[in-house]
Amino acid sequence: MSSTSVYPTPINAFKQSKRSVLSVIVDNEPGILARIVGLFSGRGYNIEALNVTVVDIKNNLSRITIETLGEEKVISQIIAQLEKLVPVHSATNLANLSESYEAEICLVKIEFDNNDQDQKILNFADIYRTRTVQKRQNIVVYEISGTSERINKFLDDLNTIGGIKVELVRSGPIGLGI
Amino acid sequence: MDNENEYTGADILLKALKDQEVDTIFGYPGGAVLPIYDAIFGQNFLKHVLVRQEAGAVHAAEGYARSSGKVGVLLVTSGPGVTNVVTGLTDALMDSIPIVCISGQVPSHLIGTDAFQECDTTGITRPCTKHNYLVKDVSKLSETIHEAFKIASSGRPGPVLIDIPKDVQFAKSKYIPKKDISFRGHRIKAGSKNVDINFVQELVNHIKNSVRPIFYVGGGCLNSGPQASQELIKLVNKTNIPITTTLHGLGCFPGEDKSSLGMLGMHGNYEANLAMNKCDLMINVGARFDDRVTGRLDAFSPDSVKFHIDIDQSSINKNVKVDFHTNTDITLTLKEINSYIESNNIELEKKDYTNWWGQINDWRKKECLHYEQGEEIIKPQHAISRLYDLTSKNDTFITTEVGQHQMWAAQYYKFSKPNRWITSGGLGTMGFGMPAAVGAQMANPDSLVIDIAGEASFLMNVQEIATAVQYKLPIKIFILNNEYMGMVRQWQELLHGSRYSESYVDALPDFKKLAESFNAVGVRAKNISELDDAINEMVSIDRPVIADIWVDKKENCFPMIPSGAAHHEMLLSKYDKEKPENQEKGKVLV
Repeated sequence: MSSTSVYPTPINAFKQSKRSVLSVIVDNEPGILARIVGLFSGRGYNIEALNVTVVDIKNNLSRITIETLGEEKVISQIIAQLEKLVPVHSATNLANLSESYEAEICLVKIEFDNNDQDQKILNFADIYRTRTVQKRQNIVVYEISGTSERINKFLDDLNTIGGIKVELVRSGPIGLGI
Repeated sequence: MDNENEYTGADILLKALKDQEVDTIFGYPGGAVLPIYDAIFGQNFLKHVLVRQEAGAVHAAEGYARSSGKVGVLLVTSGPGVTNVVTGLTDALMDSIPIVCISGQVPSHLIGTDAFQECDTTGITRPCTKHNYLVKDVSKLSETIHEAFKIASSGRPGPVLIDIPKDVQFAKSKYIPKKDISFRGHRIKAGSKNVDINFVQELVNHIKNSVRPIFYVGGGCLNSGPQASQELIKLVNKTNIPITTTLHGLGCFPGEDKSSLGMLGMHGNYEANLAMNKCDLMINVGARFDDRVTGRLDAFSPDSVKFHIDIDQSSINKNVKVDFHTNTDITLTLKEINSYIESNNIELEKKDYTNWWGQINDWRKKECLHYEQGEEIIKPQHAISRLYDLTSKNDTFITTEVGQHQMWAAQYYKFSKPNRWITSGGLGTMGFGMPAAVGAQMANPDSLVIDIAGEASFLMNVQEIATAVQYKLPIKIFILNNEYMGMVRQWQELLHGSRYSESYVDALPDFKKLAESFNAVGVRAKNISELDDAINEMVSIDRPVIADIWVDKKENCFPMIPSGAAHHEMLLSKYDKEKPENQEKGKVLV
């Protein structure tokens, strides 16, 4: 992982993995997402996470961020295949850039029964500097951002608290090179 | 009020085709393309060839494109019209053939309602085209068509589909000529126009220092244009380096030349495969390390430094890791290599590679294409050899179907020029050859066009004989009739204990009578004494001819690298036995 979190993270020891985050600039036209998703499924590549949004209205460009798994040879082939698609301007493996930043956003809804759980939740929320979106008597919704690993770690910590119910949504990682 | 500078979508399509210098279109009408057919009715620059099934249109467009170097064009209706061309589009994608397919679509307001003859055309064809479009706005139509032709023919060529809803064919807009369109660079994927001089220098240095070099040439050389072939011939003659070609590379270099080792791969020549296995320098010119060519990858050419020239970035390091590569066009790169050698007075002539050629000539002594022709039953190899001897004086175009006959054609018919050999390689589409011959004959009306066929493949698109008759296309269908799906039977014999499950073709038609019923001509050769007469008669008749050549039913196609085996583990004849461990591994492969 060469990407650096935009947020400070309590634990630095991330697991080494073969995940790559690909950043793809495309013409925003009908079918482009289907082309990319079809390329991955047709050639047997994995999509772990996917994010698509228009980023340049004037030039009608979207940025698609794809988290994928595979050895280096496979990732190079994925990039080459992506760049063959007509509406694709560029496909970049963020890990190949000298400097890149990565973030993901996650909304977590936690239901709890007692004060002990509440205190533990509050403690983790504080350590990870989550933003409180909504808090009721026995339910709280947090927003947490950062690298995917940071969010994973937060969720792992939450899971150490017994008896609570967690529901969440994640944007998948997005990233930018400098 | 109609603006006089505005045209209907159907007229815009025709204006764009004229602008693109399209003079032939293969198609089949239907409800969703009637406005376009109406526009075709009122013009005379475009010759429409009515096929008998849309599969015929797409293979004809492929044959037209391969034999002429131009973009092949077809027109089909919505729903079944377009689903019938899916095989051909995939075929063109695999074999890098530039075609543009125009399909009709139900009117825009009916899209998504499961209307009559509606299908998700762009969805279905997305993975089998280089690019596709659904044109919902008539004002985008001109630009879309011109971009489609540009994409189909640029970089690594391929099929492009344009889906036009019926209301868009009626709607009006201005026509934008080709010259007024500025293409956006990132969409064209044309490859680099700048020759990588470091690549050239490295290559020339490696040629100087190598003792066992080889050229491995594929269909990319063909797609780069006839000049690529000229530059290749120049380079091979200058360097005295042996050259082998893939199935699609046949014709890029004269097959009868002393430097040619013929085709390599699964049914390639023994000397070509052994030379690939033992070489110390491999120069890949527009080939893609296909599994039919490489055999078992972990034993593929273990000791060579590998150079790869390919316009398609994704072909580099896909199956085989190479040491040097360039994505610049082959013609430009070869030209630069030739001029670099000349301008620097690099004396490659002194290198005659005596030991290397000595070794290759020893392999040649195996005579891997040897067969025993008896006095009665025609050997299929002999039929092709005689066909070659009796037709090579003409500028002959050969198409094929898929199977044993295709491999025998590749082995025994020699090509001296590019674009004369039209076959389905990557996809292996049975039924390709006859419609492809229709397309090749349309593009080359004065040439001899022969479809070398098997009886099973021929029956897959047999209806297209009517197309040939209607347009007076004197194509020749040369059927090696063994009453089997020969290649299936061969694999069953080698890998499945000779259990010939469903590979015998019972209840075959009488091909002579079949020809006559279509108003074509049928000829037949039942034994060796009738073969030459049948070929001569076939060639001399200026009408479509089906030649039914009865060949040895049990003959197998050798030499062969069985699936899962390596180049040096070739079987030369049925008496060679495969290693049992390879046989088990090979069984699960294709």
